[in-house]
Amino acid sequence: MRRSELLQWFGLFGGAAAWTVQHGALFFLAAARCNPSGSRWAFGMTGWQIGITVAAAAVALAAEAAAVVTALRTRGLEHDGPPPLGRIYFFALAASAGNVLFLGAIVLEGLGAGWWSSCGAS
Amino acid sequence: MSEHALPRRTPRPRPVAHPNGWWGMALFLASETVLFGALLGTYWYLRFKAVHWPPLGTPEPKVVLPLILTAILVATSVPMQAALRAAREGRLGATRLALAVALAVQATYFGLQIHLFLDDLTKFSPGGHAYGSIYFTLLGAHHAHVAVGLLLDAWFLLRLSTGLTRYRLGGLWATTIFWHFVNALAVLVVLTQLSPAL
Amino acid sequence: MAATEVLGPRARERIGRLDRIWEERPGLVGWLTTVDHKRIGLLYFFTTLAFFGAGGVEALLMRTQLSSPDGHVLGPDRYDQVMTMHGVTMIFLFVIPMTTGAFGNYLVPLMLGARDMAFPRLNALSYWLFLGSGCLMYAGLFLNMGPDAGWFNYVPLALKRYDPGLNIDFYALGLIFNSISSTVAAANFVVTIFKLRAPGMSLNRMPLFVFAMLAVSLSLLIALPSLTVDLVFLELQRRLGFHFFDVGHGGSALLWQHLFWFFGHPEVYIIVLPAFGIATSIIPTFAKHRMIAFPLVALAELLVAFIGFGVWAHHMFATGIPTVTLVFFAAASMMVVIPSTIQIYAWTVTVMMGRPEFKAPLLFIGGFIAFFVVGGLSGIMFAAIPFDQATTDTYFVVAHFHFIIFGAAVFPILGGMYYWFPKVTGRLYHEPVAKASFWLTFAGTALTFFPMHIVGLLGMPRRVYTYQRGLGWDAYNLSETIGAFILTAGLLLIFGNLLWSRFRGPPAGPDPFFGGTLEWATSSPPPHYNFAVIPTVTSPYPNWDRADREEDARKLEAGELVLEEGHETPASTVRDGYLDEVLEMPSESWWPLTLGLLITVIFVMLLLAHFVIAGIFGALAVLALGGWHLQEPAEA
Repeated sequence: MRRSELLQWFGLFGGAAAWTVQHGALFFLAAARCNPSGSRWAFGMTGWQIGITVAAAAVALAAEAAAVVTALRTRGLEHDGPPPLGRIYFFALAASAGNVLFLGAIVLEGLGAGWWSSCGAS
Repeated sequence: MSEHALPRRTPRPRPVAHPNGWWGMALFLASETVLFGALLGTYWYLRFKAVHWPPLGTPEPKVVLPLILTAILVATSVPMQAALRAAREGRLGATRLALAVALAVQATYFGLQIHLFLDDLTKFSPGGHAYGSIYFTLLGAHHAHVAVGLLLDAWFLLRLSTGLTRYRLGGLWATTIFWHFVNALAVLVVLTQLSPAL
Repeated sequence: MAATEVLGPRARERIGRLDRIWEERPGLVGWLTTVDHKRIGLLYFFTTLAFFGAGGVEALLMRTQLSSPDGHVLGPDRYDQVMTMHGVTMIFLFVIPMTTGAFGNYLVPLMLGARDMAFPRLNALSYWLFLGSGCLMYAGLFLNMGPDAGWFNYVPLALKRYDPGLNIDFYALGLIFNSISSTVAAANFVVTIFKLRAPGMSLNRMPLFVFAMLAVSLSLLIALPSLTVDLVFLELQRRLGFHFFDVGHGGSALLWQHLFWFFGHPEVYIIVLPAFGIATSIIPTFAKHRMIAFPLVALAELLVAFIGFGVWAHHMFATGIPTVTLVFFAAASMMVVIPSTIQIYAWTVTVMMGRPEFKAPLLFIGGFIAFFVVGGLSGIMFAAIPFDQATTDTYFVVAHFHFIIFGAAVFPILGGMYYWFPKVTGRLYHEPVAKASFWLTFAGTALTFFPMHIVGLLGMPRRVYTYQRGLGWDAYNLSETIGAFILTAGLLLIFGNLLWSRFRGPPAGPDPFFGGTLEWATSSPPPHYNFAVIPTVTSPYPNWDRADREEDARKLEAGELVLEEGHETPASTVRDGYLDEVLEMPSESWWPLTLGLLITVIFVMLLLAHFVIAGIFGALAVLALGGWHLQEPAEA
């Protein structure tokens, strides 16, 4: 029960947290690198972008795994079934779909930022 | 309309969930986190765009005294948490003592910080450059939150003089998490403010 | 309790006691001191309708000015004020207070099986602050000093050098003031949703409308501080000479835009999410079928809000920010569409799988889906950076957001007015006229806003007070203006129907449409105490669980979960809805109005730069807060 509870919450929030951190990091990196003071620091922006994207994708995948495992464990119930297991099943179902979206966002953002990593305007 | 209510007959068990007031404070703190996020974000955004930060002619921030003061403020989380624990155990005297200790230290911190703030104003002004503008606004926002915390401490010292109830315990709990928030934020604010000199 | 049910003597006695405990003072004093969420909801409803009227007049003035080239109805300065106030009014003073303050306040406690919101006095305060902030901004307009730099108020135009009068100060201080109202209201909703649910209503058994209100409230709490900081910076720069936005002193004009749009994009999801909630309430009732993929729809409400926080820079694609930044914001902007699409599929499939009855509320939801699909498609087009850069600041953008705001936010509000009218007034609206009012409004909306796509692609810029003859725009503008008047006629027909039915409509009874959520399990209008017996919930459609509701009648006689020992409502645990404690709620109070007045004075004094007086009233406000908290609940 306790394990299902923890897995449910990690499944629900893990992908979201990973995308949030990656997105914020991409913004921070661009602001740092593409501005006067940042250009003096001369760090490899693309390297950091790839690293953070890979880490975020890994966390999102783990969250998806947690959500799917929890959903399978509580599979016998209805999504509006009695708590706590019904509630856990509900969130695990929702999280299984949500993490796919976050994984997609992480990959798409990482690919885009890595490919068009110019500081110049378009 | 409670004059129409019957005298209470049904005994009430202790609740399991956090009180409404705790949740209200937690949500308010989430909102204030974003407020400070915007202020801190502005500091870094403007700093990245600047070539000289602080601008030429503006002194770099002092490091030692602000760090010591911040450590003192963060330390007041200990008496605040002690006050809360004493209140949960029903020990009114210990609660009020711990709260008074916290208030005294926090008020001293506040007084010293205001002195430093006014002293900084004689050296550079918020109206000269964005550095000064964000420096004074960020610090001012932090000090305003400390002031609110002092008012909350004073209020509860007063209220608790007539006894400890479950409602007041909830309020003290909310005040304690408020202070933990302010103290954590103080670390971020002071590190940001001192970053040009670090 | 249905009027036809026979009540035993003890049941009647309990109801009498609940009536006496929960009734409020009669007359004007009752309204000024009310803390009843239903009365506060009605106060919000009529006030926001008045602002809707004002915003509508502003729209008609603009459309009349633009109906032909070289218009002379409004000069450029006046046009700027009317245009800005139209945007500010519709967003801050109409849609959001209507969906959260009116619909949310009235319905959320009822749908949760509670007797009031978690913080009833704070609820009243949020209304008085809303009223004060709206009056403050309109005072500016009536003094010909209204905000005039557009609803997003870009710098440097909004700085003192280019806008020296009080116009922008009305904007900044008015919106900071308004944001206090929204912030406390949002916190109130979240605590109510977390703690005041009926026993048995675990998080997976909450109505979808409540999920939507949860998403909206969390978004407001996270988005508003960014706007507040932006506005404070603006006032500090305008009034005290600080430097945040001017490059010459180390500032950045784009800083305004980043902070504004970090708030502004979630704001547009805040506008539309409650409308999704209304749609997900109306559809199961009239389709006579539970919502398909309920967990996914619930999650989609929260996901749209969440991902919506990561897309703000798509409002800045044409500002010259680095390409790398453009690209990852474009990627996120493409992903944010997906949860909305899931919802559209769920809604449509639910209707298809049910036995739909196309009464007026469902017609309005049909119109909503049609407009939302078109508006959503034009929106996703903006995620393509080159397309966005070509159409930025043209009428194509105006078309997109009006399809969304009018089509996807206002249509559900109109449908919701018809749907819940019987619950609030106890009478039925006139169905044939309601259907006609839908078609008229739909036609007017389409004719007003569709041509804007075309004229935008032909190059007509936004926010122009007039345009030259011979650019190929004339016929489109004229049709848009005609559409606006047809739309107005449709709206007048709706409100005429509701007004007439309020006095002449036949009695509705508690549940005329066989709705599934708990507001339909009590009388129309509900008694002050909402439910004589706190309902026990075993599914997200508790009013369709007839066995549970029949149990309520037995419980009333036996005195179970009646909570008649004071001004009481139950609190449950957050995740699983187990009954946790019984809360004593405050009753009527003068403090909310008093504090609201003091805060209004503070903002007026700040506007007039009387900072010392503002400080004195600030101290008085702190004292008022102390007085407010002197009243404590009776201890067990």
